[in-house]
Amino acid sequence: MTNVFRLSVIALLLGALLVPAFAQQEMTKEEWQKQITELTAKVTDLKAKFDAVNKDLADLKKQAEDKAAALKQCQDELSGLLGENEPLLQSQLDKIDGRLNELSRLSNQDLYARKAELDEVQAWIDEAKKNPASAMGKHAARLDEQQAKLDALKKALQAYVDSGQAMQTYTVGTWAKDRDCLWNIAKKPKIYDNPFLWPKIWQNNRDQIKNPDVIKQGQKLKIPPKADLTKEEKSAVRKYWNNKQAAAAPAQ
Amino acid sequence: MKKAFTLSVIGLAMMAVVLTGCSNTPSEEELKQLDDLKAQVASLEKEIAAKSAEKDALLKAIGEQDAQLALCLKDKAAVQAKLGAK
Repeated sequence: MTNVFRLSVIALLLGALLVPAFAQQEMTKEEWQKQITELTAKVTDLKAKFDAVNKDLADLKKQAEDKAAALKQCQDELSGLLGENEPLLQSQLDKIDGRLNELSRLSNQDLYARKAELDEVQAWIDEAKKNPASAMGKHAARLDEQQAKLDALKKALQAYVDSGQAMQTYTVGTWAKDRDCLWNIAKKPKIYDNPFLWPKIWQNNRDQIKNPDVIKQGQKLKIPPKADLTKEEKSAVRKYWNNKQAAAAPAQ
Repeated sequence: MKKAFTLSVIGLAMMAVVLTGCSNTPSEEELKQLDDLKAQVASLEKEIAAKSAEKDALLKAIGEQDAQLALCLKDKAAVQAKLGAK
């Protein structure tokens, strides 16, 4: 019994020793102190970082304000130099874009019929290039783009003309008012600007012109693209003059 | 033998008293101090992250301003040259 009592006392005492020892496994005072030291150092470090970022921010805000002021000054000076030129150019460029878009949608035949408008657009572009605002990067780029678009249209039109498919028409007016004969029609600046090319009109309208000296009001003549007379056309014109001479000979 | 046992018991008892009485764990107040420091660290880290994001955005904006200014100066010089050439 005495032994049992002794063992119980020892067990209780050992328990009293071990319980606090296990309890300490959560965190010891040394660990706490270590964490406190580490965290305090971290807080100090973070506060320094925070101050540095704040200072950087203040510097950057100042920089941004200075740059905004410099930009505004530059824009004001530019506006002062340009005056009303920039809005004017803007509307010119819009007009050119509108017409180019319209012409780009046309078939080759329709484009050929409106070929004069290509020259008109070219004149608009040349005029726009004289505007001082056209020196600005964005406007210069837009003008370059428009010129490229117009050049492409001109190239397409030229290819169409070269292919021989282009054929405009001319409606014959009266002799009294328009003085229309093949010679005079060929002489017109919008036709060939060269009267000696009249056989070209004749040969391309043989279906409705039997005698080149006689054309009737209202006839719709096909006008082939301007070019030198072909061998056949030259031959036809020689024949025409020979016939004329032959017809005139008996009278002599 | 009985005396030795008694002395051992007394020794163990004293050790138990010393170990339990002078506990090595931090107090409630000390634990709160630790928690406060942890919260401060978290808060500072969050604030620094927010400020850093603001700084990045500002740097980007300044970069854009620089580009705009360079373009404006270039345009101005070109316009002046064109006007001078007229």
